[in-house]
Amino acid sequence: MSESSERLLSRTSKGVQAPAMLVLEDGTTFVGRSCGAAGEVAGEVCFNTSMVGYLEILTDPSYAGQIITMTYPQIGNYGICDEDAQRSRIHAKGMVVRDMCATPSNWRSTRSLPDMLRAEGVVCIEGIDTRALVRHIRDHGAMMGVLSTEDMDASSLAVKAKAAPSLVGRNLVSDASDAASASCAVPDAHAFAQAPIARVHRSVVAYDCGVKDSILENLIRSGCDVTCVAWDTPAEEVLAMHPDGVFLSNGPGDPDAVRTTFEEAARLMGRVPLFGICLGHQMMGLASGAEAEKLKYGHRGGNHPVQNLLTGRVEITAQNHGFGIVFESLGPIIAEESGGFADHVDDLREWIARGVAPVVRNERFGRIRLTHVNLNDGTLEGIQFLDVPAFCVQYHPEASPGPTDAHYLFTAFMRLMDGDHDPLRIDIADDRLAGWRFGGEAHA
Amino acid sequence: MPKRQDIRKVLVIGSGPIVIGQACEFDYSGAQACKVLKECGCEVVLVNSNPATIMTDPGLAARTYVEPVTAEFVEKVIERERPDALLPTLGGQTGLNCAVELAKSGVLDAYGVEMIGCDLAAIERGEDRKLFNECMADLGIETSRAGYAYSVEDALAIVAEIGYPVVIRPSFTLGGSGGGIAHAEEELRQIVAQGVGLSPAGEVLVEESIEGWKEFEMEVMRDRCGNGIIVCSIENLDPMGVHTGDSITVAPAQTLTDIEYQRMRAASLAVLDKIGVETGGSNVQFAVNPTDGRMVIIEMNPRVSRSSALASKATGFPIAKAAAKLAIGYTLPEIQNDITEATPACFEPSIDYCVVKVPRFAFEKFQGTDDTLSTRMKAVGEVMAIGRTFEEALGKALRSMEDGRAGFGGDAKAAAERACTDEDAFRDAVSRPTPARIYYLAEALRRGWSVDDLHELTGIDPFFLFRMRDIIEVERGLAEARLDELDADAFRVCKQMGISDAQIANLTGSDERTVRTCRKMLHVTPAIKTVDTCAAEFASFTEYHYKTYDAHETEVSPKERPRVMILGAGPNRIGQGIEFDYCCVHASYALHDAGYETIMVNCNPETVSTDYDTSDKLYFEPLTFEDVMDIVDVEKPDGVIVTLGGQTPLKLAKPLADAGVPIMGTSPESIDLAEDRDRFSAILDELGIAYPPSGMASTIAEARIVADRIGFPLLVRPSYVLGGRGMGIVYDGAQLERYMAEAAKVSPDHPIYLDRFLEGAVEVDLDAICDGVDVHVGAILEHIEMAGIHSGDSACCTPPFSLSESVQAHLRSIARELALRLGVRGLINIQFAIKDQVIYIIEANPRASRTVPFASKATGVPLAKVAARVMAGERLADMGLPPDDRRLDHFSVKEAVMPFGRFPGADTVLGPEMKSTGEVMGIARNFPCAFAKTQLAIDYTLPRSGKVFVSVCDHDKRSFTSIARDFARLGFSLVATEGTASALRAAGIDCDVVKKIHEGSPNVTDLIDSGEVVLLVNTPFGNATRDDGYEIRTQAVKRGITQVTNLAGAQAMAAGMEAARAGGLDVVALQDLPQWQIGEEVRHGA
Repeated sequence: MSESSERLLSRTSKGVQAPAMLVLEDGTTFVGRSCGAAGEVAGEVCFNTSMVGYLEILTDPSYAGQIITMTYPQIGNYGICDEDAQRSRIHAKGMVVRDMCATPSNWRSTRSLPDMLRAEGVVCIEGIDTRALVRHIRDHGAMMGVLSTEDMDASSLAVKAKAAPSLVGRNLVSDASDAASASCAVPDAHAFAQAPIARVHRSVVAYDCGVKDSILENLIRSGCDVTCVAWDTPAEEVLAMHPDGVFLSNGPGDPDAVRTTFEEAARLMGRVPLFGICLGHQMMGLASGAEAEKLKYGHRGGNHPVQNLLTGRVEITAQNHGFGIVFESLGPIIAEESGGFADHVDDLREWIARGVAPVVRNERFGRIRLTHVNLNDGTLEGIQFLDVPAFCVQYHPEASPGPTDAHYLFTAFMRLMDGDHDPLRIDIADDRLAGWRFGGEAHA
Repeated sequence: MPKRQDIRKVLVIGSGPIVIGQACEFDYSGAQACKVLKECGCEVVLVNSNPATIMTDPGLAARTYVEPVTAEFVEKVIERERPDALLPTLGGQTGLNCAVELAKSGVLDAYGVEMIGCDLAAIERGEDRKLFNECMADLGIETSRAGYAYSVEDALAIVAEIGYPVVIRPSFTLGGSGGGIAHAEEELRQIVAQGVGLSPAGEVLVEESIEGWKEFEMEVMRDRCGNGIIVCSIENLDPMGVHTGDSITVAPAQTLTDIEYQRMRAASLAVLDKIGVETGGSNVQFAVNPTDGRMVIIEMNPRVSRSSALASKATGFPIAKAAAKLAIGYTLPEIQNDITEATPACFEPSIDYCVVKVPRFAFEKFQGTDDTLSTRMKAVGEVMAIGRTFEEALGKALRSMEDGRAGFGGDAKAAAERACTDEDAFRDAVSRPTPARIYYLAEALRRGWSVDDLHELTGIDPFFLFRMRDIIEVERGLAEARLDELDADAFRVCKQMGISDAQIANLTGSDERTVRTCRKMLHVTPAIKTVDTCAAEFASFTEYHYKTYDAHETEVSPKERPRVMILGAGPNRIGQGIEFDYCCVHASYALHDAGYETIMVNCNPETVSTDYDTSDKLYFEPLTFEDVMDIVDVEKPDGVIVTLGGQTPLKLAKPLADAGVPIMGTSPESIDLAEDRDRFSAILDELGIAYPPSGMASTIAEARIVADRIGFPLLVRPSYVLGGRGMGIVYDGAQLERYMAEAAKVSPDHPIYLDRFLEGAVEVDLDAICDGVDVHVGAILEHIEMAGIHSGDSACCTPPFSLSESVQAHLRSIARELALRLGVRGLINIQFAIKDQVIYIIEANPRASRTVPFASKATGVPLAKVAARVMAGERLADMGLPPDDRRLDHFSVKEAVMPFGRFPGADTVLGPEMKSTGEVMGIARNFPCAFAKTQLAIDYTLPRSGKVFVSVCDHDKRSFTSIARDFARLGFSLVATEGTASALRAAGIDCDVVKKIHEGSPNVTDLIDSGEVVLLVNTPFGNATRDDGYEIRTQAVKRGITQVTNLAGAQAMAAGMEAARAGGLDVVALQDLPQWQIGEEVRHGA
């Protein structure tokens, strides 16, 4: 930034800012201004297309090890409403925005996003062409990058980015899991918008692999008494608590590196109803002997259409994952339960066209049905175990941030614990307003 | 679930003429729907009375009826065409109301027509406040506290419960017409009385005021399986209290947290389910209390709307197109996203830019009316701008407005807000919502007002005020700098704040060209980005672009074919409407077919031209020199068309040509030849063509001298005008002096033109195309009103109903000579006046005129397409055009539609200053029937009996007697004030006398209030004077009484009523007219 441009900005809400630089492992360089803490971080550079919900994203433990780029250009507009955070601290390594708001406005906001970033020591860059960055990642795949306010030498940063350890093969869950800090209550500050808690009638043990508070809140609102346990808690210990159901949470990084959790999950399958979200879904897949793959640039946003093959309904979903389960690796298709089709297809949307929810034969747990498919790219989004009480989804029914169309999955989990063998057949329209409060009293 | 096989023939109802609250966004949605239904194999039958629309082009539907959008006419169409289904949700409130009437009266059942998209019950639940509130109560979604009133007393009782202020909304009216906010009893009485009168149900809703709350809109789509998506969220910058059509709005919503947004989203989807919108698009509006997040639903529209057009343009998601597909049975996941061509339409667009819409007003046209914005929409158009930040988009939007502003703040010192020194007046201008308030906000920030104070005064969210303050701070910094002190980084800061070159020039004391040169020398040029619905998550194939100063990467495709750039018409305003957009769209189609890559540049979100489907490339950008040149630099077009979009692009012709841009068609030199009065007069003299004597004056003394030379009456106007702004007719010296004093205010730096006014002359418009060798006269349009009424406000007929063949031949030959002499390459419009057998030229404009679409529809020759091909070098002789002197066996009448109902207090007399917002067309075998159809298309009914009130000026008394006799013969009783009555009696016509206003009660206004008067004929004398006539006319507007303010109109009205009664009015499809069969060949190109 030149002196004359600094002079022009000096009286604006931005004031005088230090320079910052983002360099990717392939040498691509973006020069901008610092709008968070001073420092230098390395991480996988990813992007999220949600237009709102930056605080929920930053505090989601699944972003551990990553530098998040927000595709919506102006971030921080409504400041920080602390109770919207998904955990008590920021888990992302760094943040990239086009324009940061230092003068936010919202009735619940207590401070600005840049203030929070500085307080938590998170590095953030603004003033760069984030769309160009997103297109680069889209075309070349997710890659490591270094974000710095200290070293302004692009080639030195490129060397550091190349040297930074990739996410593949790293267990980030052990660090993100902190069962003691997980909030097993619902915040009062959401009472203006969210319905009161339902009557408690189920006890659930949740594996905390980096769980988002909103998942726990949804379980609580649905009528669960939730106990969080660490990511590596032995199955026998959990079963000794005599829960009605077990929940496997979301979490950061490569699922193959979280062996303990999926091995314990394998021991739980069939002995207690199970529900998994995101990494939890991957844990249940790996527990079944399936393969995980790394997606080119992941799914991160609040607008992915997912079709429920049982109801035919499309849910607009919140997503955040860089790895996925390969459906074919769960086992061979059972033709007689799959509309007569015997072969796997590359693009799972093919099953939608056929009007069939195919079933595979899994070596460990019997029949598994494909229940949810991503309509953008035909990837696996959800499966249901037919011979053991369990189902899981790759996406985020708790949203936070994102659309709440898939809220019915929490209802489905309650039904699963009630012994319902077909819990996923719920019309989302019937569930649409569940959990919300509007001030008026519903008559019907 | 694929397309329903039982729907083969679909009736689509359009929205009729452009009126305030219902503009060309319905042409955009209707044209999209017709196109997509046709692609899906449906036979489309269309009814729409608006000739200036793309949707009424015969290629878009199988059967196109340019007929009144009334139950009576649509029933005739149904009877003839027997459609399987009726799609009512794409024609605005007019189309919806018509469909409701057809359903209720049993017509649809009788002919077995199914209403698709939205059924009658759902429409009623959406539109009837009582049913709507019940539905919301069932869902538990809050509505504001309210009650229904059928009288002032009812309303007072409700207010006793909920307290002032209250909002009053009449049921079933267009754009909230007739509503308002009452802060005290007097106001309440007035608004309720008016609202009860205007509501077809005689009902108004009186509700607690949520003025000052934040206002949001959600654009929702739903399919028949119940899949629902939010296409776009929109936040109003102006808080509750200003109609959303009159608000500056921003997409996406800026100040909601995720939990607030998702709650609104879930509620919106639930509302569609509950109301029973089976398929299609709807918008749902909410208010949010800024202090505690309480959310109240305001209303929903179970149809596509102005905001859905905006949402489509803002996101790239084609709502109307999808709605049409959903209506015939497809589901959202079955529809592909056009833009990515890989993902389904069943998703929610994520955008990586900010969109700002700013409404365009026309208060200056309606003197005497209050410019405070309220819950009743008054905007006549709007602009939209795209930027990477709110700051950038706001600046771009404000410089798109065509009102002389260069952006937000940074104006020359002459601006009114800068000159305002009276503290109270300034404070009022800041706090009161008006079209100019945004500029007063800029000035207040410049004067150091705090964001808190401004928030307190205006209710505008501090988020927006802080962003504005940042812009102003940068501008203040600029004002302290010299241009040569700005380096590349500094320029980039300015551009990212949305500050234009012109503003930088103003602030640094330079000029725009120099700023541009410096900026380009420092390599500060914009990057081109793409609107792709998905924030770049997927590759996109549609070239829908905007410029921004995020210059890391630009997304422009390489040139493969010759490129032509078409400059659009900018925001709709009075004098420049949809007609010009129509011409631009046609040119784009024609040139695409001729092998060009077409690039459209425009900033009006309501139009077909800004549909990404229309041209090969779309740039959603302001039509300023800076923005157009930036695009030229990137795209390097082989030609730029400036003559089809009206004044906006035309005034860029010279600066662009000077900058070396290749202008296609008529050269800027030729344009100047026609516009420069001295040069033009010289040409007319050379060709021996008559024109009214004229002169020019800058002072009152000079004006008197000119008047002495030419003689009264005089047509007077400022030398720099659009749509007749500031024009008048003066009959004597006193009026001339008054005019000159007034004109100095309108346009202080320009002299006044004075022309001899040819009173009583017949006016004629002529549209022609010239290729430099040949001239094709498209149509000769004979005006119904005499000279003195702006051609845009005058009804006209083609072929002419009273001009002889030889006069017509003479007009054509003058047109040929003149077009060739001027060097026109493309369209030319010539206005003639014929008086005492002498043909005078009033003016010639070598560009597309307002009448081109009408003339094209009437004659079957697509003039704009032909013109575009001529501009690209084709010869008229090679196009197989029919001879221009052929006989047409149908008469086509165009009538103007006036917005007086929206501007209480404004005079309704027509004059040389244009006031109409739109037009309708009537086609029939004779002139009276065609004229009657236009009246039905505007007013929906023609009076059959009752009282006709007559008050004509002395000048007209003699000529009026024969018309009065016609009215009497048709069974009307005549009522007149004393003077007119005695003239009528003297002619032996029965007539009652009524007192003038100053003669005490009961007088004429009481008579009008009584509802007995069905038609009002009032011809005033001279310039608009605040006499009885004014009171009477404005009173008639309030009561919605048909009125005629000139004799020619009265005569046509009488003839029309008679013709309508005698034979009934038959419907005719454009495809059945002989001229369309001839035109077929031309339309499909040689």
